[in-house]
Amino acid sequence: MSLIELKDVSYAYPGETKLVIKHLSLTLERGWCLVVRGDNGSGKTTLFRILNGLAFPVEGRYLFDGTEITEKYLGVSRNSKLFHKRVGYLFQNPDIMLFNGRVFDEVAFGPRQMGLSDAEVEMRTKDCLDLFGIADLADKAPYHLSGGQKKRVALAAVMALNPEVIVLDEPFAGLDGKTREFLGGFLAELKESGKTLIVATHDDRLQEALADQVLEL
Amino acid sequence: MIPEWMKNEDTYVPPGGGGTFAVRTIRAIGGAVGRLQFQQGHEKKYALPALVKLFILVAAILALSLSHHRLVMLAYTAVLLLYLCTWPPRDIGHILAGALAAAGLTLILVLPAMFLKPEGVSGNLNLVWKVFLSVVMVSIFNHTTQWNHITGALRRLHVPGIFIFTLDITLKYVVLLGRFIRDVLTAYIHRAVGRNDKKYQSVGGVMGLTFLRGTEMSREMYEAMRCRGFTDDYKGL
Repeated sequence: MSLIELKDVSYAYPGETKLVIKHLSLTLERGWCLVVRGDNGSGKTTLFRILNGLAFPVEGRYLFDGTEITEKYLGVSRNSKLFHKRVGYLFQNPDIMLFNGRVFDEVAFGPRQMGLSDAEVEMRTKDCLDLFGIADLADKAPYHLSGGQKKRVALAAVMALNPEVIVLDEPFAGLDGKTREFLGGFLAELKESGKTLIVATHDDRLQEALADQVLEL
Repeated sequence: MIPEWMKNEDTYVPPGGGGTFAVRTIRAIGGAVGRLQFQQGHEKKYALPALVKLFILVAAILALSLSHHRLVMLAYTAVLLLYLCTWPPRDIGHILAGALAAAGLTLILVLPAMFLKPEGVSGNLNLVWKVFLSVVMVSIFNHTTQWNHITGALRRLHVPGIFIFTLDITLKYVVLLGRFIRDVLTAYIHRAVGRNDKKYQSVGGVMGLTFLRGTEMSREMYEAMRCRGFTDDYKGL
């Protein structure tokens, strides 16, 4: 069974008739990487919102691991929590993801939610801080970090949940060369470890290195 | 190097219940932001100009305030409710909820006077009734007139430019900050995969973040204005 299946999916914003996404079908297997390309306003972010259960198709079906993701299905708290645990989303704007007072608490937020023991939370958080090279920022307020640092913290916060699918909306936007290189390497390693990736990017090198499938919107 | 636990799948069973607070808040904010952002309401293509409507509104409120006759108030009530009957139920709900809230607040404010001077109860109740009717009228005007037409009408009435500008900017930033809060809560839900025992701490974090963002936005706007020649001396529109 494919992990993600979109069957003839169309989407229009509430109250509008014009379709932003028209009859889109795609299948994504476990461990694959889908690169999504398209101009501004082509519907990339809308597609990501659908894949993350934040918006729902007006036509067609979205199946995740064989289960149809609908508003009703995600309306059940337990389903919603499990789905969001399995699908991690790095928003294009990391600012909106960082609402805790310290970087450490930001990264630890997910593991704490999962009800892990204090030792496990500490271990996961430290691992993520080290992995993303932000251990020295642990006590700083996320709001006052630079754009690149915020992106690292946001990604660390997503990865601390250990999702099976990681959706990244323009992960390279606003990053310097060094951070891009780091992030590209990290995503390659992540793919190697069997995670499923969905990435919106205009970076040809990243596409070449990671993509099993390319979707042009 | 990716840590070992990240290479394996978690066997996680989330707890049931909870999580409705953020969803409800997002819906409420989304609705309010949507209404403000696309505030076209019921303005029809051939509607009365906003200036005329504004005059009628001010005149109607003045006449109502000055009237002491209960029949006038009954007539106002009948006309307004009849007019509202032609509207979609959701809009009627919004208007009446706002008007009833304002009337309720007025009632609380005049309660001491009603107890201290029982013979003035009737007058105080009239006041509450007038507040209700006035708020209904203002809400109808607001629903049937686009925001830019309202500010246009105010401009034609020679209301000082700085006042209109402040009004416009306030509305714009209410929408922007509303959108920001909605997005933060959406991101919060995405990571709130269990039971949050420190919900109020998270809410405080969102509020603090919004305050910081608001401060930053106002600073950025001021700097952008200065870069375009603003010298703290506002020239009218």
